[in-house]
Amino acid sequence: MLELSGIGRRYRVGAEEVTALADIDLSFPAGSFTTLVGRSGCGKTTLLRILAGLEKPSEGEIRRGGGKLRTAVVFQEARLMPWLDVSANVGFGLRGRVPRPVAAERCAAAIELVGLSAFAGAMPAQLSGGMAQRVAIARALVQEPDLLLLDEPFAALDAFTRRTMQNELVAIWQRRRPTIVFVTHDVEEAVLLGERALEMQGGRMVGREAIALPYPRDPTDPDVNLHRRAILSRLMTTPTPAAA
Amino acid sequence: MLRHCSKLAHFIHRLIERGASKIWRQQTLPRFTTIIVFAATLALWWLASRLGWVSAFLLPGPGTVAETIAELIASGELLRHTLVSLRRVALGYLFAITFAVPLALLFVLSLRLRSLFEPLLEFLRQIPPLALMPLLMLWLGIGETQKVGIIILSCFFPIFLGVRGGFDSVDRKLIDVGTVCGFSRPEIMLRIVLPSALPAIVVGLRIGLGYSWRALVGAELIASSAGLGYMIVDAENLARTDIVLAGILVIGVLGLTADHLLRLAIRRSAPWLSGDLEMARA
Repeated sequence: MLELSGIGRRYRVGAEEVTALADIDLSFPAGSFTTLVGRSGCGKTTLLRILAGLEKPSEGEIRRGGGKLRTAVVFQEARLMPWLDVSANVGFGLRGRVPRPVAAERCAAAIELVGLSAFAGAMPAQLSGGMAQRVAIARALVQEPDLLLLDEPFAALDAFTRRTMQNELVAIWQRRRPTIVFVTHDVEEAVLLGERALEMQGGRMVGREAIALPYPRDPTDPDVNLHRRAILSRLMTTPTPAAA
Repeated sequence: MLRHCSKLAHFIHRLIERGASKIWRQQTLPRFTTIIVFAATLALWWLASRLGWVSAFLLPGPGTVAETIAELIASGELLRHTLVSLRRVALGYLFAITFAVPLALLFVLSLRLRSLFEPLLEFLRQIPPLALMPLLMLWLGIGETQKVGIIILSCFFPIFLGVRGGFDSVDRKLIDVGTVCGFSRPEIMLRIVLPSALPAIVVGLRIGLGYSWRALVGAELIASSAGLGYMIVDAENLARTDIVLAGILVIGVLGLTADHLLRLAIRRSAPWLSGDLEMARA
């Protein structure tokens, strides 16, 4: 269980103080799949960075039940090490932590999962944006994390690959049950993937939608559409809170 | 002429399009053009002396220079001067690395130190090393120390700026990846920061090496009794332009060889830096 209470984050921009997050009270039950949805600049990424431990909140408290969580993050950009090939990039976080044969086996499986077996020896400069992002996804999955944080990970992928990766992510979640927090600005993606969608606007939580539909979900399913419309109507009509 | 050129370009383009191998395109073609350019320059030089466009005294022909080089090799003079120069360049370059790398690292690690001493270093950077020659002669004498000192001064700043710039420009986003993976600070330094900084460091090292060869003649200009620079200056005093040209050619070849060896070593050990190496041609 991961609990946030009263989380806020302020930045100083010149002489002014800007509030990126305010009054965030949330809990992420172990093994849950939560999507965070909202417009660009609404504070989703900041919240994800705080969950990843990359930023400290200006106020509030984070409680991690069950000790230290093994965390993996997929960022908006692939962030691959240019001097390592695909295989070494995927195993980047494993070196020195997992026996070599185990690491090699896990890397090969993750690379196959993202459909890049033929490119295991390729360098990042030889990959397209979508392929690089798939490597980043494999790098996160290979760590078998307890907490998997994804920041618009499929935005750079083509529609077909995105759909495949969405299904694979759900399958991995169903098989291993990590806690997943998935940031997206695509409302349909939020409904297709999450057990619940949290709506953000102006650095605050403005709504939540429980989505109790069976997986795999079909974008043309009328129930998916109902949830999508509910989220959209709230996000479109809720005035942006004066976070600053 | 233009029509022929465009036809040739079209032919080469079609050849490439039709699947001429990647190796041909990436390696053989540039090597081929390099040989052509060198051969054309040599031919122009030969023509200029053969047809009397330039006086043979001012510009001896390639044949005369080749004969002079053969004589210098046979007498052992060329080898003696070359070894002296190589030693000076190697010492100067290695000392410059020894001083520049730790100082650059100190500047990266301590902002206070950097803000204190950076203006002074920037001031020193503007001064051509040759302008310091009289002072160096007074301080270090007219022996080897002064000559090596000039070379150190010449290649110190490119190496220093390369190392400092390399560490300064490390992408924070890559460090985030290491942080999320749970790396310690030394692990982040070794596995992310150092490899990220390498391209700029390599560029600095390569430019520094080039500068060390450029400084050689200056260093051997005054109060010298051996070295390629001395050989050139001595030949100028004796009006032996063939020896001057021989010395220039040898310095060029040695500089090019050193540069190629450095590039080869970097390509072998860090193939992803190949692109960055080309930046150091400046």
